[in-house]
Amino acid sequence: MQRWLHTLAHELFDFESPETTGERIYFRVIELFLVFYALLFCWNWGLYIQQNVSSVLLPLGIAKHVDISFMFDHYLALVNAGLVTILCGVGVFRLWRPAYFVALLLFHLQYVSRYCLGEISHGSNLVGMGILGLGLAHLYFRTERYRRRFTLGFLYFFIGLGYTSAAVCKLIGTGITWPDGHHLLMWIAERKVDVMSKFGAFEPTMLQELVLQDYRFGTVFLTFGLLAELSGILMWWRRYRYVVVLAVLGMHIGIFFTMNIMFHASTYLLVLLGLPWHRLTDRFRSFLQSARPPQGQRRRPA
Amino acid sequence: MSLYKKSLRIIGSLFVVYALLVATHRGEFWPFSIYPMFSQAGPPWTRALVREVPKGKDHIPTDTVSLSELPGSSFPVAPEGINQNDVANYVSKTETWSAGRVEGLRSLFARNESLETSLLIYRVRGRLLEDSVQVRAIPVLFFAPDSTHLHPSLDTD
Repeated sequence: MQRWLHTLAHELFDFESPETTGERIYFRVIELFLVFYALLFCWNWGLYIQQNVSSVLLPLGIAKHVDISFMFDHYLALVNAGLVTILCGVGVFRLWRPAYFVALLLFHLQYVSRYCLGEISHGSNLVGMGILGLGLAHLYFRTERYRRRFTLGFLYFFIGLGYTSAAVCKLIGTGITWPDGHHLLMWIAERKVDVMSKFGAFEPTMLQELVLQDYRFGTVFLTFGLLAELSGILMWWRRYRYVVVLAVLGMHIGIFFTMNIMFHASTYLLVLLGLPWHRLTDRFRSFLQSARPPQGQRRRPA
Repeated sequence: MSLYKKSLRIIGSLFVVYALLVATHRGEFWPFSIYPMFSQAGPPWTRALVREVPKGKDHIPTDTVSLSELPGSSFPVAPEGINQNDVANYVSKTETWSAGRVEGLRSLFARNESLETSLLIYRVRGRLLEDSVQVRAIPVLFFAPDSTHLHPSLDTD
């Protein structure tokens, strides 16, 4: 067990290997992406709470213990979004170490205030985990390089765990027959009603037409989705990481075309985590440097 | 303590917190989740649809209809800034239609103003029949500009 944990820690964090400029740029892009989406969610939810939410139908998270109806008045949801914005700004500029962690707590309050009408949305969970990872990295590490390595390892650990957990839930909730294509027929019909409710009309996609004509196509799609989710924790190991993240990304694209559900933030985060962007950045930088004429051959200005 | 040990301890401790929170909060404590969506495949589902009906109507129809038989015209909720999931959850999860619940749903559409149009709120149910899905819509609420009518079979206070 000790040996396995030791290997796992090295696979996730790899603190020893030297850090390249590409990695530093790559991490900053991920951090800004997480902050951008955290603010987008908080402000969108703030406006929605202000306009539409007046009672708690389903208390989630901290709302099970605290009456959060105070968030519906006096523009408090917008004030909260403002506080998250300031804290994220403080985090980005490294002015106060607990900033991201406190931002996550207020982000949680915003989420439970927005989703107290019955819907349990998972579109923002990965962004929330990302802000939590940043928060813990800044609380527990003082060196930027270690913070970066920790945050990325943290993300791969909990994202992988989340997908495998989703697959296990399916196997417990339904059993081995979960990928039966008839189930996709049910979900397509359900999404049809949702899309009609949202936009007034529904046009099936090509994949939906395929499943509606022959449910066995649905069995193929669901089997791929279940296997992709089950393999989630394999992203803890570098050898399988990119293949597994791309498989999960493929599953999300499949969900979009078969069920009209798109988790934008999670999908884009997987695009960022699923390809070796830092290596591509390093190669691009090397290419630019090699294309530049040597110092001695540069023309001096007249 | 080595960096690796420290990182594993942080992740291990958080994992315990994660497990405790989701275990005691039905699998959800944002941003932690066991991601149980779509875990139960096959059982009947319930959603909601809103229809706009001509003014002058003063009672709620009681017939259960298919999607192609819905009266009036579609009333898409997205352009109104309303999330369809909120309407669906309101309609499917409310068991007793107290005055507060009815007003809560009406306020989603009216927002402190009077309604300009008459809206019929349908509870839509789907269930699997052999190789097809049967979808039926039951009217639950009728919001006229100046009055609200409930389907007679609904539980009220």
